[in-house]
Amino acid sequence: MKIRTRLNLWYTAILCGVAFAVIGAAVYHELVIETRPHHHHGSKREAELDSEDLIDILTWTVTPAILLGVVGGWWLMRRALAPVADLTQAVKKINDHNLSQPLPCSGNGDELDQLTEGFNAMTARLDGAFQRIREFTLHASHELKTPLTILRGELETALHDEPASAAQRERLASQIDEIERLAKIVDGLTLLTKADAGQIALKCEPVRLDELVRECVADAKILAQPQSVEVHLDSCDEITVAGDRHRLRQLLLNLADNAVKYNQPGGRIHFSLRRDGPSATLQISNTGAGLAPDLQARVFERFFRGDASHNSAIEGCGLGLSIAQWIVQAHRGAIQFASQPNELTTVTVRLPLA
Amino acid sequence: MRILVVEDEKKTASFVRKALEGEGFAVDVCGRGDEALAAALATPFDGLVLDIMLPGRDGLSVLRQLRAQGNRTPVLLLSARGEVDERVEGLDAGADDYLPKPFVLAELVARVRALSRRGGETKATVLRVADLTLDTISHRAQRGGKVFDLTAREFRLLEYLMRSAGRICGRMSIIEKVWDYDFDPGTNLVDVYVRRLREKIDDGFEPKLLQTVRGVGYVLKE
Repeated sequence: MKIRTRLNLWYTAILCGVAFAVIGAAVYHELVIETRPHHHHGSKREAELDSEDLIDILTWTVTPAILLGVVGGWWLMRRALAPVADLTQAVKKINDHNLSQPLPCSGNGDELDQLTEGFNAMTARLDGAFQRIREFTLHASHELKTPLTILRGELETALHDEPASAAQRERLASQIDEIERLAKIVDGLTLLTKADAGQIALKCEPVRLDELVRECVADAKILAQPQSVEVHLDSCDEITVAGDRHRLRQLLLNLADNAVKYNQPGGRIHFSLRRDGPSATLQISNTGAGLAPDLQARVFERFFRGDASHNSAIEGCGLGLSIAQWIVQAHRGAIQFASQPNELTTVTVRLPLA
Repeated sequence: MRILVVEDEKKTASFVRKALEGEGFAVDVCGRGDEALAAALATPFDGLVLDIMLPGRDGLSVLRQLRAQGNRTPVLLLSARGEVDERVEGLDAGADDYLPKPFVLAELVARVRALSRRGGETKATVLRVADLTLDTISHRAQRGGKVFDLTAREFRLLEYLMRSAGRICGRMSIIEKVWDYDFDPGTNLVDVYVRRLREKIDDGFEPKLLQTVRGVGYVLKE
């Protein structure tokens, strides 16, 4: 029950209680005490008349007064608690990207203002903490690049040194592969951290999405061939969106790559691009083991790899779908993941038309 | 050919120098931006390998100052930041090429070589490596009397490898030149395409022309 309703009920109850107590006392006074000392004819009649008057007074004066009191009280509560409702609305809009915007204060120093100020101080501290985490990740990924560059360079130099035996070369090459993987993770982290901090500007231009999809299908066919996975383009409407060409290609290739990696030998991948009212709907479905329903909500989390974390045969850095989600959201679109285990796993992307 | 390597990280500077010297370049190393600018203005280098984060003066500012003074020395920018916008910023400032860290050493060497003879690229329409020929007008490849059908992507890949015949092509260069991607797509796209191309041009022929350089990329040579 809302505070306002509760206060209103209490207020009404108290108002009625007080009113009835006052009236009760008045009636008692009129009927019992007033009539007692003068004991002569007509006094009884007088008292009866008085009680009728009292009922009249009750009906025509006290009841409207109570009603007026209740309505007034209800209005007062509403007025007093309206800033709380506003505050609730404002608080609901807060997320990790707009923490630095303070909630509006009325400036009259009342309790609600103090609450707002306290709240603003808290979000400011949180914003500081978020910012420090972002800066930390950005610095960390930057600092990691120098030792990675050195390691890679030294290993490569060693690899091409003549005296190395075939076994030594194999070992060096395998180390280079691991460094490469580490470098990819660091790159992905840098990208996402910058995106979080709003440091990446998209170059928006009209892009023929259908052309990019056809291009991506051609690449997916090649990627899928070693696993003999079939790639189908079910429909491809002519669609232009406003977006960053490079990022959209990255998005498509990312999703296509996932559809190949998490497929089964002899499986299928279906692409479709359709015009759907004010938006373009792209769907990429693939066969394969899929993902249990309780894990599906987490696929866009960074480094979430589902069951694949136990499956070293599937390469990847665990940032692909996070990056895909960022690209879609940066284009004011939406991305969804749905999977029926051992049937079809579908990623749906909606982008606004240009 | 004389190259100036501007890099404050000593170990990185050292193996870059060693690799370039191994390719026959004369290499000067400098660890500060302001000194590098003075050196580049005083000495006619054939190429500059320029890190962005430098003490004294940052790489981009060195580059802008060089260009402002009319110096046209080819510049390869190195950056640990490696995002598309920095690449664009670098090229806008007058860089001829850009390589994000951590880079493949062979890639760096190949790019410096390409820089120092920029403009001298072969414009031939029929490319030839051993008995493999590629007609860049009809898009037809031929080896030992056999004609291959190439998809558009396979053609661009083969053309790039043949134009750089004998030199190692790093995965990142291939992605840039053949796919026009500014980012690492994080897939084994290049490897799969190379495998397909190899099935066409090398299966049933000797010697094998398209070779893998483990951890680095590919090279097309006899």
